[in-house]
Amino acid sequence: MSPEKLIFRFEELGREHKKLVGKKCANLGEMLRMSLPVPPGFATSIAMYRRFAKETGAAAEITQYVKRMGKLKGKNIAVFDEMSLKIRGMIESKEMPAALVKMIASHYKELEKKGEAPDGAVSVRSSGTESRPGMFETYLNVVGIEDVLDKIKKVWSSAYTARAIALRVNKDIPVTGDELGAAVSRMVNARSAGISFTLDPVTGDTSKIIINSSWGLGEGVVSGDEDVDHFVVDKKSLKIIKSSTGKKAKMVVNKKRGVEWGDVPAKRQSALSLSNDEVSAIAKLALFLEERMGRAQDMEWAIEADSTPPNNIVLLQTRPAKLTVKKPESVTDRMIDLIVQKFYRP
Amino acid sequence: MPKKKQADKIWDAVPGYDFIEEVDLAAIPSWFLDGTHSVPPLTPLFSYQWARFCSHGFKAACSQLSIPTCKGWEIRIFNSGLYCGLHVVRDQEEIAQREVKFRQALRPWLEDFDRHWDDYKKELLGIYDKLKQLDVDRATNLQLYHHNYDLMEAYMRMWEIHFIGMYTSFNTWLLLEALTKERFGLSDQEAEFQDMMRGFDNKVYQMDKKLWEFGQLAIEMKLAKIFKENKPHAILPKLKQSEKGKEWLKQFMDYMTTDDIGGWRMQHFTDFNEPYWLEDPATPIGLVKDNIMRGNSYDLEATRAEIAKKRRTAIAAFLKKVPPEEKELFKGLIALAGKSSSYSEEHGLYCELSVHALMRRGYLAMGKRLARSGTIDNPEDILMLNPDEIDRVIMVPEAHDMRWITKRRRADWEKAHKTINPPVLTRRASPEEAIELDLLPSRDAIAIKIVVGEMPQPKPKLKADLWGICGCPGAAEGPARVVTKYEDLKKVQPGDILVCPSTNPTWTPVFGLVNGVITDTGGTLCHAAIIGREYGVPTVVNAQKATEKIKTGQRVKIDATNGAVYIL
Repeated sequence: MSPEKLIFRFEELGREHKKLVGKKCANLGEMLRMSLPVPPGFATSIAMYRRFAKETGAAAEITQYVKRMGKLKGKNIAVFDEMSLKIRGMIESKEMPAALVKMIASHYKELEKKGEAPDGAVSVRSSGTESRPGMFETYLNVVGIEDVLDKIKKVWSSAYTARAIALRVNKDIPVTGDELGAAVSRMVNARSAGISFTLDPVTGDTSKIIINSSWGLGEGVVSGDEDVDHFVVDKKSLKIIKSSTGKKAKMVVNKKRGVEWGDVPAKRQSALSLSNDEVSAIAKLALFLEERMGRAQDMEWAIEADSTPPNNIVLLQTRPAKLTVKKPESVTDRMIDLIVQKFYRP
Repeated sequence: MPKKKQADKIWDAVPGYDFIEEVDLAAIPSWFLDGTHSVPPLTPLFSYQWARFCSHGFKAACSQLSIPTCKGWEIRIFNSGLYCGLHVVRDQEEIAQREVKFRQALRPWLEDFDRHWDDYKKELLGIYDKLKQLDVDRATNLQLYHHNYDLMEAYMRMWEIHFIGMYTSFNTWLLLEALTKERFGLSDQEAEFQDMMRGFDNKVYQMDKKLWEFGQLAIEMKLAKIFKENKPHAILPKLKQSEKGKEWLKQFMDYMTTDDIGGWRMQHFTDFNEPYWLEDPATPIGLVKDNIMRGNSYDLEATRAEIAKKRRTAIAAFLKKVPPEEKELFKGLIALAGKSSSYSEEHGLYCELSVHALMRRGYLAMGKRLARSGTIDNPEDILMLNPDEIDRVIMVPEAHDMRWITKRRRADWEKAHKTINPPVLTRRASPEEAIELDLLPSRDAIAIKIVVGEMPQPKPKLKADLWGICGCPGAAEGPARVVTKYEDLKKVQPGDILVCPSTNPTWTPVFGLVNGVITDTGGTLCHAAIIGREYGVPTVVNAQKATEKIKTGQRVKIDATNGAVYIL
């Protein structure tokens, strides 16, 4: 038995552990160190996946299979769909080795016991060493050890979603190049949730904080599929300079196990999903994160249904904010646009 | 009585461009003093040319580039000072329409500024070469008649080019400043910003370097003593007394006559009433003397290399803060903003200083012709006339007596030396309101960054006596030397703190001498700020009434980084 430690509570982690547990978990640890309101939980290391894959033979199977596929660049998406199905099956069909089950179960029980996740409901998220937004899977409202073990395997196998395979092939990264850790943390019973940017992802303006919010869990906001509430807060004065209500027809809510899309009650559809105080509190949190992380941040947060402000904000994740580049523009085009916008549009 | 009144009307100081309150305020609500170019008071001939063609250049550039919010400036003369009224575009739809063409017109300049500026330089040098071909002292009256128009045509074209270069280059400086301010809290008044914009190799620096090299050459040829022991005007005859001296002088005059600019460069940036270098080589020889006096401890090249190195370090440090997606944008902008810094220094040589030298040469020759016939008392009186009046009399000068005009205008001009011009002539309630309504909406980079400047923001904690804005960061202390006239520039001693209304490229050499500079007017792109940065001299600009409040000899301390001035 290797004495290597394969599982960690978030409070044992910090930003120096990105290689060990992946960026998301390392960041959650770092946020805890800053006393930020992060849901309690634990991380399975990337080495745990490696051990799983080695002991169950999945690693060898995958390597062989990928080798057989030969050169992949320029292949049709159908090929990646097929590969995804095969490889994910190779991982998910394997039994979790007993030693790993033990580790995970004891950490999961601890969450329940300490009252950190009293009803045993957790979320299981992917945590890789590279930032690949939207490539891997997240499982919400996972309940019971069997389900947790199953979802950890599914997170691991989500390194092989068709889109993730395609991305790696296009970027000349080996097909087996992403190995994941998993973040298991208390499921937040969110009344509202959303994202905030400390830089306008479209214009690059860093003088304002942009907040998008909707009812329920944050999935609708994160995926960008739904109409949301939009707030703009001035960084200097922390004044809300813009707030607009989106028509929020659908929301993601917890069911007994897992989550589902439901209808937003008619009355709440065009009501703001955040109070002004909540907007301010989120803006302050965003500013704090930007300052501590040393650059613009893109964060996900939720408003807990059962607590009261200002203690009802939960931080789910933060990462460096990136600009949404709409179309490839030359530097000259951007300069001209900016000159016109800044100086010649009253 | 009525007769005199009529003469007053027709023979104003600068007919057509004199400020007439009821007419001009009705057309444009506020007129702002161009303090940078109005001190000392301008002669009528120069005022006429400047008012007419500088304002044309503004309008031509705004039209050719389709500047969305401004159609250019008008210039009027009041009390021998220049007043600028802006044609602000206020209709939203018109602004939007102008924007379409503006985008197209700006693009080539952003893509390759140097190529376009090089083409313009060539065009200007071609025009000047043609003007130089006329031997003005031997020219017939008819040739001088035509020369009057050739000079004006050259002047017109110079101003068109001048402002196209200026508008295109300043926009990128402004954009860089806006972005660094917004994203990194960094304004162009701060050291971190300004260090990225220094140490460029342009024509002004090359000429300074050449003069420095002539100093080194004189030392090598063992001529240093002549320079050290004589006043500038006495140096030239002394040099002619020895073979080595003659050899040095030959090399020096070769440079003055064969270089693109060389001696075709006015001493004084504005006006025609001072000689150009070729006309009076004592000026550049005096600069060589200054370099020699400084001794070996001063190494121009090493100082410049240091500043250039600092620039590269500053840019690298800044770019580290920039997110990867924005790196290319900022890199490009920093390079272009550097060009606007360089352009605002270099254009003076190719534009104003050369053409003014040629205009002085031409008009002085016409003045001699008129003085010889008794039309005016002496050649310099030509500066009291305007081109239309010269046109009227130059063919048959002996038939005219223009002294009733020149005498009166000279008296007015001399009187103007004793009075101070108000900063703005306006029908608005206050100067602040005038700036708010009639200047800022033009979004005019030139008005905001050079001519009028941003308002100082006092920091009460620092308890300074005067406030300006930072032109070049740093601190300095020394005896004040208040210079309001170019002639007094010669009195500046090493280690002085120069206090002046504003500076222009003719003042550049003095920056190598002084510890610090304070100016009454100007913004972060004005001449004093740019040269301060190039020479590493702490500089406070737009300190408003510095020349009034500080007296020569008082000890002053400047904390340029904070725009603070202390009278000790």
